[in-house]
Amino acid sequence: MTFPRLEDYEPIVGRPTIEEIHQLAERLKGRKVKMVNSTAIGGGVAEILHRLVPLLNEIGVQTQWEVIKGGEDFFAVTKKVHNALHGEPVPLTPRMKEIFLEVNRENLKNTNLDQDVIVVHDPQPIVYIEAKERTSAKWVWRCHIDISNPNEEVWDFLKGYVERFDSALFSSPRFSKRLSIPQFLFFPSIDPLSDKNRELKSEVINQVLEQFHIPQDKPIITQISRFDRLKDPVGVIKAYRMAKRYVDCRLVLAGGGASDDPEGEAVLEEVREEAEGDPDIHILLLSSTSPLEVNALQRASTLILQKSIKEGFGLTVAEALWKKKPVIGSAVGGIPAQIIPNLTGVLVYSIEGTAYQIRYLLSHPDIAQRLGQYGHEYIKEDFLITRKLRRYLLLFHVLDHLGERIIYL
Amino acid sequence: MNGNPFYFYTSSNLVELTGERANTLEELIALLKRCTGSAIFYHVFQSYRERHFTIEKYHSDFAQWISTSLDEEALAERLGFLDMRDFTTIRALRESMVKVIEDYIDRYPQCRYRQSKTPFFFCQSVSVVMPTNYIAWTLEDFYRIIEKIGLRSIHYHLIEARLRLGIHTNDFSNWFRHSLRRERLAKQVEDIDIYLHTLEEIRMKILHYVKEETRSP
Repeated sequence: MTFPRLEDYEPIVGRPTIEEIHQLAERLKGRKVKMVNSTAIGGGVAEILHRLVPLLNEIGVQTQWEVIKGGEDFFAVTKKVHNALHGEPVPLTPRMKEIFLEVNRENLKNTNLDQDVIVVHDPQPIVYIEAKERTSAKWVWRCHIDISNPNEEVWDFLKGYVERFDSALFSSPRFSKRLSIPQFLFFPSIDPLSDKNRELKSEVINQVLEQFHIPQDKPIITQISRFDRLKDPVGVIKAYRMAKRYVDCRLVLAGGGASDDPEGEAVLEEVREEAEGDPDIHILLLSSTSPLEVNALQRASTLILQKSIKEGFGLTVAEALWKKKPVIGSAVGGIPAQIIPNLTGVLVYSIEGTAYQIRYLLSHPDIAQRLGQYGHEYIKEDFLITRKLRRYLLLFHVLDHLGERIIYL
Repeated sequence: MNGNPFYFYTSSNLVELTGERANTLEELIALLKRCTGSAIFYHVFQSYRERHFTIEKYHSDFAQWISTSLDEEALAERLGFLDMRDFTTIRALRESMVKVIEDYIDRYPQCRYRQSKTPFFFCQSVSVVMPTNYIAWTLEDFYRIIEKIGLRSIHYHLIEARLRLGIHTNDFSNWFRHSLRRERLAKQVEDIDIYLHTLEEIRMKILHYVKEETRSP
């Protein structure tokens, strides 16, 4: 697979941004950076690293990517840690902690730590920090999880490791904790040249809609997310029904995650029951490898919803805004970071609020279009892969001057 | 060729999370009094740069939050009306903001402890400043560079400069005035109302004034 080169982004972000990236990188040439995470494929972190690591290398920052190896028991523990950080009351038994520490330490034995910067992603490889004293590297913990309301016992266990890093990175101010080390804001990003986000010809969009038997005879409202109660798909159908009394429209609920998840299967069944008898509701079960289909569905939509009850960052919002689509999103997780109320989208707090905003935006296409346009500009400024690349370069400079507020290069 | 050349710089910032948050006006005042100058600078001048494509009702994050999250529109308007061009130090700006909020609370004491819909998260920034490859020796050079330079560079020289240098002007006007002896142009650029224009519009205005100046004898 060939990935785009930095220059390929110039038509999108402009020459000055590309020049700034080169200038920031110029002063970092030859630096050695290591990224460590827990999976090479699947999941948002791997998706981002697949793009970011080649770009960093292209501009002269020698970046390696290492994946921590572990058995099923290790990943069962890390899954529990993950859920506990989201607030679930999952206790960590002494045996679990033992497995967690052992696997990390075993991996460390075969790891080259001769680096200038080591970025550890999420909790799985966090124990790598035990090797800090053996290296001259700066250590950074990149947390992709919302840890604002964690299970305190598990957090206390991890916090001892977190505060040994030189700094931590969080996806939203809401996600962070009060820590003794500097914390920086690192928004997740989307790649405008990926299959999920690149421009599509109208024939391709039409083809996808035909494939899913979705006529384009009335406005289409879409929510793309897995069939999970936290995404409130039943609430979306209720809001659509309330709005449809006033404005005719179709609803598309598209997502994956049902086939290998027993709860997902049950949710999908609930959604089908709720939708029964309405030919204007289209429930689509997508595989995780359908980025082009997601892209086409988003582009064919008049409005995009993300009516989650709980959310990680919710990058589907950024994807939709990038396509200049007006978005109605719940004020949870990372969604408010992407939706500036009434400027780049609309924030809602209830099913009724969602229904009202659907009615309002379908009746005011000029306002809907303006939200989409501003949303696109905002995503271009803050949420593209090029911005993420620049943030990392800035971070590498800042790590050399921790404690300084203005750094002159 | 007149005086010294103009060296174009650019600045980017990494946003630092302080872990501090306010849920009421009372908490906001307490944090405003003890937060770093960098936090004030970020919430009043820098976060706006990320939304340079539009003109929002309020540039200041504080006014924006008071409006949307506390529904205290009159207070938001008073804070939003503070003009950064009247301040050359963060300390003076901080004192003015605190005074505006305290006066409002004195008048409407019931709003002091009212809970906001969403918290205000205090951030601060670390700025990385670097030279660009662009240097202007003449107004003609300056015009060609302003046409294509990044908006961050314009923000740095036009807006950040005031507080950096503690001056009632900006880097561009300073150069026009002292190196090129172009007083009229310096004043025109100083008078651009940064609250009513996007950075792209400001670029166009500067280009317009420079073009006019090069045409005049």
